[in-house]
Amino acid sequence: MPSIQKVAVIGSGVMGSGIAAQAANAGLEVVLLDIVAQEGSDRDAVTKGAIQRMRKTNPAPLMHPRNAARIRPGNLDDHLEWLADCDLVIEAVLENLEIKKDLYSKINAHRGADCIVTSNTSTIPLDHLVADMPEGFRQHFAVTHFFNPPRYMRLLELVAGPDTQPEVITTLRDFGDRLLGKSVVDCKDTPGFIANRIGILWMGVAVRFAFEDGITVEEADAVIGKPMGIPKTGIFGLLDLVGIDLQPHVEHSMLSLLPEGDMYRDIHRRSEFIEKMIADGYTGRKGKGGFYRLNRSGGEKIKEALDLSSGEYHPAKKPVLESVEAARGGLRALVEHPDRGGQYAWRVLSHTLSYAAVLVPEIADDIHAVDEAMKNGYAWKWGPFELIDKLGARWFAERLAAEGMAVPPLLEKVGDGSFYRTQDGRLQYFGTDGAYHNVERAEGVLLLSDIKRSSERLAGNASASLWDIGDKVLCLEFHSKMNAVDEGIMMMAANALKMIPAQGYQALVIHNEGTNFSVGANVGLALFAANIAAWPIITESVKQGQDIYKKLKFAPFPVVGAPSGMALGGGCEILLHCDAIEAHAETYMGLVEVGVGLVPAWGGCKEMLLRWSDNPRYAKGPMPAVSKVFETIATATVAKSAEEARALLYLRPGDGIVMNRDRLLAHAKERALSMARDYTPPEPCELQLPGPSGEAAMTLVLNDFKRAGKATDHDVTVGKKLAHVLAGGKVDPTETLAEDKLLNLERTAIVDLLRTSPTLDRIEHMLETGKPLRN
Amino acid sequence: MKDIVIAGYARSPFHFATKGALTKVRPDDLAAHVVKGLIERTGVNPDDVEDLILGCAFPEGEQGFNMARLVVLMAGLPISVAGTTVNRFCGSSMQAIHMAAGAIQMGAGEVFICAGVESMSRVPMSGFNPMPNPALCESMPAAYMSMGETAENVGREYAVSREEQEVFAVASQHKAGEAQAKGRLSDEIVPIAVNGSSVDEDGCLRPTTDLEGLAGLKLAFDENGTVTAGTSSPLTDGAAATLVCSLEYANANGLKPMARIASIAVSGCKPETMGLGPIFSSRKALSRAGISAQDLDVIEINEAFATQSIASIRDLELDTAKVNIDGGAIAIGHPLGATGARITGKAAQVLQREGGRYALSTQCIGGGQGIATVLEVA
Repeated sequence: MPSIQKVAVIGSGVMGSGIAAQAANAGLEVVLLDIVAQEGSDRDAVTKGAIQRMRKTNPAPLMHPRNAARIRPGNLDDHLEWLADCDLVIEAVLENLEIKKDLYSKINAHRGADCIVTSNTSTIPLDHLVADMPEGFRQHFAVTHFFNPPRYMRLLELVAGPDTQPEVITTLRDFGDRLLGKSVVDCKDTPGFIANRIGILWMGVAVRFAFEDGITVEEADAVIGKPMGIPKTGIFGLLDLVGIDLQPHVEHSMLSLLPEGDMYRDIHRRSEFIEKMIADGYTGRKGKGGFYRLNRSGGEKIKEALDLSSGEYHPAKKPVLESVEAARGGLRALVEHPDRGGQYAWRVLSHTLSYAAVLVPEIADDIHAVDEAMKNGYAWKWGPFELIDKLGARWFAERLAAEGMAVPPLLEKVGDGSFYRTQDGRLQYFGTDGAYHNVERAEGVLLLSDIKRSSERLAGNASASLWDIGDKVLCLEFHSKMNAVDEGIMMMAANALKMIPAQGYQALVIHNEGTNFSVGANVGLALFAANIAAWPIITESVKQGQDIYKKLKFAPFPVVGAPSGMALGGGCEILLHCDAIEAHAETYMGLVEVGVGLVPAWGGCKEMLLRWSDNPRYAKGPMPAVSKVFETIATATVAKSAEEARALLYLRPGDGIVMNRDRLLAHAKERALSMARDYTPPEPCELQLPGPSGEAAMTLVLNDFKRAGKATDHDVTVGKKLAHVLAGGKVDPTETLAEDKLLNLERTAIVDLLRTSPTLDRIEHMLETGKPLRN
Repeated sequence: MKDIVIAGYARSPFHFATKGALTKVRPDDLAAHVVKGLIERTGVNPDDVEDLILGCAFPEGEQGFNMARLVVLMAGLPISVAGTTVNRFCGSSMQAIHMAAGAIQMGAGEVFICAGVESMSRVPMSGFNPMPNPALCESMPAAYMSMGETAENVGREYAVSREEQEVFAVASQHKAGEAQAKGRLSDEIVPIAVNGSSVDEDGCLRPTTDLEGLAGLKLAFDENGTVTAGTSSPLTDGAAATLVCSLEYANANGLKPMARIASIAVSGCKPETMGLGPIFSSRKALSRAGISAQDLDVIEINEAFATQSIASIRDLELDTAKVNIDGGAIAIGHPLGATGARITGKAAQVLQREGGRYALSTQCIGGGQGIATVLEVA
């Protein structure tokens, strides 16, 4: 079976467009087809319009706007012959069996013999889809069910039919995993597959019980959100996001397909309240409002919540529930709490988790598939079986029984045990056969969490650890709060610098599995030191950071950064000092120090100047690199993807981008090993900078921004400090400046700024609210 | 005194910088195409051309070296034709005309190509390496003041309201739109081949602009000001060229004089209100031509900004019905180095077309200058 290089996506709605965009992000050639435009002279207007929308949609489906050029728009009447050289056709049209069947006949007439065809159906069983199709088609057909938005939701449910060739599934799994970066979960051909099957029941019970138990919208979301490890949109915020009007369709479709006796049939209730909301246009964020709305009528934005009994909006209140407070002590503390929140939590969880337990093996071969699906498709922090383990399987079963609810056989079977355990350093799950089985990773996947389970850390403190990841490669892991760079991380980096040559290691990888690689330096400490005027300590800690980052850069072994998520400020700077970076495609790098009234001072200014000065495609002379870096740092530009980071030169041309996060560490390790052979550290560079004339030019720009209302007074103060650093201070353009001299300028600038009260106000505000203060 | 005439005018289409049809065209190529077009259209014997004087406001990068000489070679002009690149910012290619006129008067040549070009896509305004003198920045910050700020200053000094600017901008767009629709812009345009297709129309025009649309735009330069992108000329790519020669030469060689150059002038003014430059330079030029503003039949004033155009028109007491009949830079665009040749060529063309005796072309110049040319029917 040939590898997939050219993909056709049919249907350019939200899902089809999103899938096409992600395929383009993966560097594939994409054909996007939809019906002929009903109006106007351009017959391709539907798909062209979809591509236009991709450029504007937020969050962006495209990792870089230029990726849109990889998508060729067409229509189903004129361009079906384009399918002839496609390796894969993904159908994402309306959830209507007849329309899909009709389309498959057309596809079949034009596809190549080896071309795979998949459907993105969310509910229609595969066997219904291909019942009338010839064998050759059925052998090449599968369901690939993406989640919205396809770029950001990691789950891809893969369903094979009885006739689907095994190679087709292998090819699709590889395509989803390596090219699209998805977590591919094998599902059975059952209604709603895994995630929606459980998710729809979960939403159904959460909404129904909120109405029945007199729980407010804010309370429901507070109980369901953080305590259960579910995104803070909880349940009602989630419905607003996906569209309340979608629910009746989904519910209807599920009811028409689910087997007799399914728990959802008993649980489901029509809600006249919600039907009226939909009829009146209150469909959520896309409509007049939903369970929440932003009221802008008074000139300011006020978040309002809907009263589920009166149907009136009121300013959203932060709910006060003891149970939510108690949840800090664990999930069981939440559901055991006698208040309304605790009772509500139990009702939602008891139904949802026992439903999940009943459905294995009906919907999936094992519980791990179910947990992966809920975590990656609904962004739950823990899957249903991990939640049961948190409650205690035995405790959960007993409480179900005590309340007269059925205890699922699988739950009985696990007895006093747990659904997951670690055995001989391996993560194992409880199988339907009653035995534990290793959680197997796909070939080429290396997870730090697996390594941590099977080995002892070499060194560590509260903020960072060092791990042996095999083949004489060391990994520096951050695990401070939000992975903020602090003294502990610096100590562990210094430790790695000593340990690697001393103990015969070959290379260092800097990586962690946190949501964010690092949100930046721990500015709380800087604020504290400034408030007690501990200037020598501040200067020394800046110097210490500079020294350690510099040592990483010039170390006699390769250092490879492997970030995912946000890598900001000091977290970005450590990456800038790595010899190479292998970045997850969803990496958001940026030097955002100006947001807290500072300038990058752990070598960030210096490294960005070096990157732009070295860029052979950029204009020559003392100013172009400086201007570009000034623009990037002064506006705290954060790349919205690794691809954008490459355009901003946070990533260099030789740095790698890895679509699947689970493959990141393996790529980084491989890169480190390949560099370790015959490794020569970089030579220190001299910078050619413009000096005071360049600083004057940047100051002119700042003044213009101030006048236009785009910069505040303190923005100008910080900007001038930044300009002074980037211009090279008082250097004459005929001379060069050593890297160390630039570090001195960075240090002086940051300490000067820490002596200003607006900077301290910015830091304080950021620590308190998580948002920048515009003073 | 010899009679010196403009005996030809051609230009490229003008397009928005960075997003327009000429973004990928090198400025030297653009200028060379227009110069070739001018030679073909006028029928001048290239061997007679003394010099190619090329205006450019930011002569670096692809506009660097001595672009004029390179354009001579690229346009296939005889090796004997010289080339000089001149910079008086926005007044550069009008300055080229003035230099030719001076040289002809001195007997230092009979025929000159006076052109200008700016690719604001490929060489940014302020250039790639802006390095102002820090001491002058300190002592006289206005010397490097941004053009938008000067426009606001002029607006304040002359009490030009935002609404007044918007009425002016709408009129410019409508005049240009009508001129384009009636084919009055097509004769002067030399089509440019880009990626196998021919770009033969201006790309900046927005003839459907209305007051309501303009009123919704954000302030561009000063949060307490009045100037928006809609009342400013856009960043533009384009080239323009004129043929300047003695009347005697034109007559002897079968060229068709469009207008006689009656007088020329430049002047300095305060950098912070550089937009008033046309007032001072026009007064000088009118006086040198021995006429008053009331004697003018055709006026081409560069619309760098609506504020400074309105202030200049008001101060010089110009008849607005005679100003920028085919639209101005707010609609057509303002490729800095090319504008002087465009508006002077345009003034000569309109004078021929509409009849009358005198025409004025004038513009403001960053740093605090004005430049003006008075033309008389040939």
